[in-house]
Amino acid sequence: MINDFNFVQPSSVAEALEALSTNDGVQALAGGTNVMVNMKRAPLQTECLIDLSKLDELKTICEDDDCIRLGAGVTISELLNWKPGGVVERLMQPMCHAFAGPLIRNLATVGGNVCDTSAAADLSPVLLALNASVELQSASQGSRMLDLRDFFQGVRKTALRKDELLTAITFARPDDDARCFYYKLGKRKADAISIVSIAMILKLDKDIVSASSIGLGAVAPVALRAVAAENTLKGAALNDDTISAAAEAAVSDSSPIDDFRAGGDYRRQMVEVLVKKGLNAIKDA
Amino acid sequence: MNKKTLNFSLNGLAESIEVTPRTRLLDALRNKLGLTGTKEGCGTGDCGSCTVLLDGKAVNSCMVAALQVEGCEVTTIEGVGKPGDLHPVQQAMVQEGGIQCGFCTPGMVMSLKSLFDEESNPNEEAVRVAISSNLCRCTGYTKIIEAARALGAGEVDAKTAINKDGALGSSMTRMDAEEKVTGRAIYAEDVQLPRMIHGVVLRSPYAHAKILSFDSSEAERLPGVKAIVSAADTDMDYFGYELHDYRVFAVDKVRFRGEPVAAVAATTIDIARHAASKIKVEYEELPAVFDPEAAMADDAPLLHDDCNAYALDWETERSGNLCYQMKVDDGDIEKGFAEADEIVEAEYETPEAHPGSIEPHSSTAMMDANGRITVWTTTQKPFAFRGFLAKALKRPISTFKIIPTQIGGGFGGKLFPCLEPYAALLAERADLPVQMTLTREEEMYGTLLRHPSKVKLKTGVKNDGTLVAHSVRMLFNTGAYGLYGPNTSALASLMATGPYRIPNVSITGLVAYTNNVPCGSVRCPGGPQMAFAVEAHIDKIARCIDMDPLALRLKNAWEDGDYTCSGQKLESVSIKECLQKAADAIDWDKPRQPGEGKGIAANWWVSGTWGTQSLIESNEDGTFRLITGTVDMGPGGLTSSVLQLAAEGLGVPVDSITLVQGDTDTMPWDHGTGGSRMTFTIGKSAYEAAEDIKRQLLEEAANDLEASVNDLELVKDRVQVCGDPASHVLLSKLCYQRHKKHGGPMVGVSSVLDDPVPTTKKHPIGGFPAPSFCAHAVELSVDESTGEIDLKRYVAVHDVGNAINPVGCEGQIEGGVAMGLGMALMEEIREEEGRVMNPGFADYLLLTAEDMPPTQSILVEQPAVEGPFGIKGVGEPPIAPPTGAVANALIDAIDVDVARLPLTPEEVSARIRIRQS
Repeated sequence: MINDFNFVQPSSVAEALEALSTNDGVQALAGGTNVMVNMKRAPLQTECLIDLSKLDELKTICEDDDCIRLGAGVTISELLNWKPGGVVERLMQPMCHAFAGPLIRNLATVGGNVCDTSAAADLSPVLLALNASVELQSASQGSRMLDLRDFFQGVRKTALRKDELLTAITFARPDDDARCFYYKLGKRKADAISIVSIAMILKLDKDIVSASSIGLGAVAPVALRAVAAENTLKGAALNDDTISAAAEAAVSDSSPIDDFRAGGDYRRQMVEVLVKKGLNAIKDA
Repeated sequence: MNKKTLNFSLNGLAESIEVTPRTRLLDALRNKLGLTGTKEGCGTGDCGSCTVLLDGKAVNSCMVAALQVEGCEVTTIEGVGKPGDLHPVQQAMVQEGGIQCGFCTPGMVMSLKSLFDEESNPNEEAVRVAISSNLCRCTGYTKIIEAARALGAGEVDAKTAINKDGALGSSMTRMDAEEKVTGRAIYAEDVQLPRMIHGVVLRSPYAHAKILSFDSSEAERLPGVKAIVSAADTDMDYFGYELHDYRVFAVDKVRFRGEPVAAVAATTIDIARHAASKIKVEYEELPAVFDPEAAMADDAPLLHDDCNAYALDWETERSGNLCYQMKVDDGDIEKGFAEADEIVEAEYETPEAHPGSIEPHSSTAMMDANGRITVWTTTQKPFAFRGFLAKALKRPISTFKIIPTQIGGGFGGKLFPCLEPYAALLAERADLPVQMTLTREEEMYGTLLRHPSKVKLKTGVKNDGTLVAHSVRMLFNTGAYGLYGPNTSALASLMATGPYRIPNVSITGLVAYTNNVPCGSVRCPGGPQMAFAVEAHIDKIARCIDMDPLALRLKNAWEDGDYTCSGQKLESVSIKECLQKAADAIDWDKPRQPGEGKGIAANWWVSGTWGTQSLIESNEDGTFRLITGTVDMGPGGLTSSVLQLAAEGLGVPVDSITLVQGDTDTMPWDHGTGGSRMTFTIGKSAYEAAEDIKRQLLEEAANDLEASVNDLELVKDRVQVCGDPASHVLLSKLCYQRHKKHGGPMVGVSSVLDDPVPTTKKHPIGGFPAPSFCAHAVELSVDESTGEIDLKRYVAVHDVGNAINPVGCEGQIEGGVAMGLGMALMEEIREEEGRVMNPGFADYLLLTAEDMPPTQSILVEQPAVEGPFGIKGVGEPPIAPPTGAVANALIDAIDVDVARLPLTPEEVSARIRIRQS
């Protein structure tokens, strides 16, 4: 039968962590763009819904010269209006614009998008390319940092423990001379679920790639880094041969499924196409 | 339930209500506070019809838990403006004609308000982005974007925003604009009755299965359950359109996933759903067939034991899963092919598509003390629904009273009862009012869809471009039930030559049962399917003989005196004018950049007829009421053009006529809304009724003025002697006298039922009254690496005969273009083994405001020979040509063949790979 559950509105992160540790079945609620949709489809089975939307502590963006910390409660609209400059802005702006539509951007949060663990979550490729870490807190064990790659563990599965809350995303600010590329391929211009999305950051020493990070979305059970492609690029001159090799390597990094949104073959082709598109754009920039 | 007090500010006033943790903000507003201007189109954040402002930011209220707004400020449409005191955004929407069915309108207004609260003159891109979460199925966004532009440019005037000039040809403001733009209009789910309970349908989880047993005893015992109905306890008959093969509950076996098996009513929707899950139905799965070709094979699993047992209004030979077939021949096809220099063959496929109204189906039923059942519902055909219910449930027609509510978009999706029978049965069983609303997910398999098509074309052409032979094989997959399959095939056969003169034609139409969701009559049934096949084929022929596609069309386009394949002699043919205007507007002759292309496509369609009756009654103060049994599903033909025609017939200002919206007990009979008939048929009827009452007024006045009727004229509010305005009598006096003398009003009546259009050949439909013609052109670019299409601009030229309300015509065209572009680019119900894989607006994609290209509507007015004032229908036609126009622009841009819709990036990539191999 349809159970009753509590609604808790903590006034601090500490209170939220306390609520997480003292209740058995707990569902965190922030922007509601995932939880409320699931509730529409089937009655929510939980003991307690914890509303995080009032926690100002989670809504701050802290930045200094080296490091950036995005509070988990920052909305996508706030991210869109944020002007950090450099590579971060050049990746975040197009990603945020491509993120659902304005109504959802006004509600959806950074933490919610990451915790949803959809392979097609729009934020993931950008955060992966930025080498982001997640900050996880619990009442009993305090705070720990985890590489985002390790946070994503499988289809709808994360490293988040039952009593933990994802409180922030952190990453180092890329060098000013780093170059980047973002692309989301969907079936329409607004409010689309990505078929393939890609974010890449490259560091070039003359035309030699000294560092690269490529985040891919919707081409595997979880969003991932195209490690083989990055390895192909490392130390190589960014020319047509390297670009082709890296694009092929990125295909081997991905393992897309066939579904009604797109075929696996098409997704693989698009990984190759978009990696080439990105690297060519970076080369010519 | 765990109730809590919620304190917040609502539309500027403090509010305190009790809600539970499960209550969404949307539910709190609609159900607790009665603010029904905020609509629920999907409940999953994909349509924007529930948009409110939360602390000034536009959000989906379906995605906010009510308790989250504690201490916040919430603004709903009711707090924005009211009739007579509209907010500037609302004034702009009214002024520019941005309102049609009105269901998305409150959400749209909220998003625009939020934009204008930030910026006083946003650019077009900002406007498109701001409303890109708000889906609109009616308008194609064009007039809404124009409203925002006008507001930003300071061109909105509170005094003149509402245009009450009802002269024919004036873009008068539709009568329901203010109630819709302020969220006051009442739609089916807004109906609230005391003691109302909620119902759900239990549906088949299998595509094809025997029902072995049915046990609802556990469900019946659950607290809160009030009624359960199923085939076992319902006296049912077959019903349908032409083909009567459907019953309200599956009997002995189920034929598609989603077929109704039982219905449950309980005090809450959650209890009803839970109870439905506790009904034990044992099934034995049967082999199923999903492909219509495979379904016609001798050894295919049989859906219906004997399809010949079902009543069908038309003659046909049926067998196995082939539920209808037809053949139309003209000339000598073999001789034609022998004369041809080239023969071009290809096959074209279109997918299952959804009507896509933003308003879901919703019905509320209540039984009265005499056992009569009243049903409030969202329907295009109130009287037909009364008949459907009577036939389906074997009751006298007088058992049912249908009260049509505002329709939040129809598009053919509201032509067939999908909740009414269950709501009626449950209300009767429970003796309580029952409301049922489809979830968006159920919408995708619990209603009728557009027929998927496979069309094989073989066309003979001479080197000079003369089309000489055309062989067509159309196969429609009707799903588990025939319903509208025969009619779709018959209509499509009339489109099979396009608007082109081809002397030798052979057309075969086949309709096959499969274990898919059944299909119905969606806006312009058969039209977009055939426009894709025929128009893409014309371009293929043009390439084959190296001729300009426009020139090929113009060479073969119908002219006055040509005949259709059914042998209808055509008059007032404007196809060449439409083609030329579309070509000129898209700069057809200018060279294309690499990766860019232009496409053109033409079509023709019916102006509906069928019977109707209109009444105009006088009020004792000299004003009038127009009473018709028809309903406006959004376009506004009824609330503008029909009134304009009535005013014209009477000679009075349009605002002295009130449109009466009633029910099937009180309204004169009408066939229903569809077939592009509103202005053509209802308008004609209203005009004639107006003439009738005007005659009576003049006779009454003749007495008063002691003059001959022939010397009198009706001018605005009076009848006067021609040439002697001083000798006059006011309508108010005439009407008052009449009411006093005769104890009642004057009544003008008109019944319209046109004669069938003569044809030389036997054809199930025959001919179209006042056929209309159109041509569309599009310019686009293609990214060959990804297959993405970017629409640059769009032109739609329509011969409307006589634009009674030009802004209404344009709105219809722009909305049709958006719907057609959706079919061309992204709309597709994906069924796998009969399961709809994309049941919702997140994955069944409608164009957003960011996708809609700048669109120019061009009206051609070549009057029809028949009908009032030369009017031709414009409701359905605009949806057909976009499928062909986009396909042809793609062919032009990157030299690929097209074979199927939609032209998603993946499909375009596949065509490029085929070209490369």
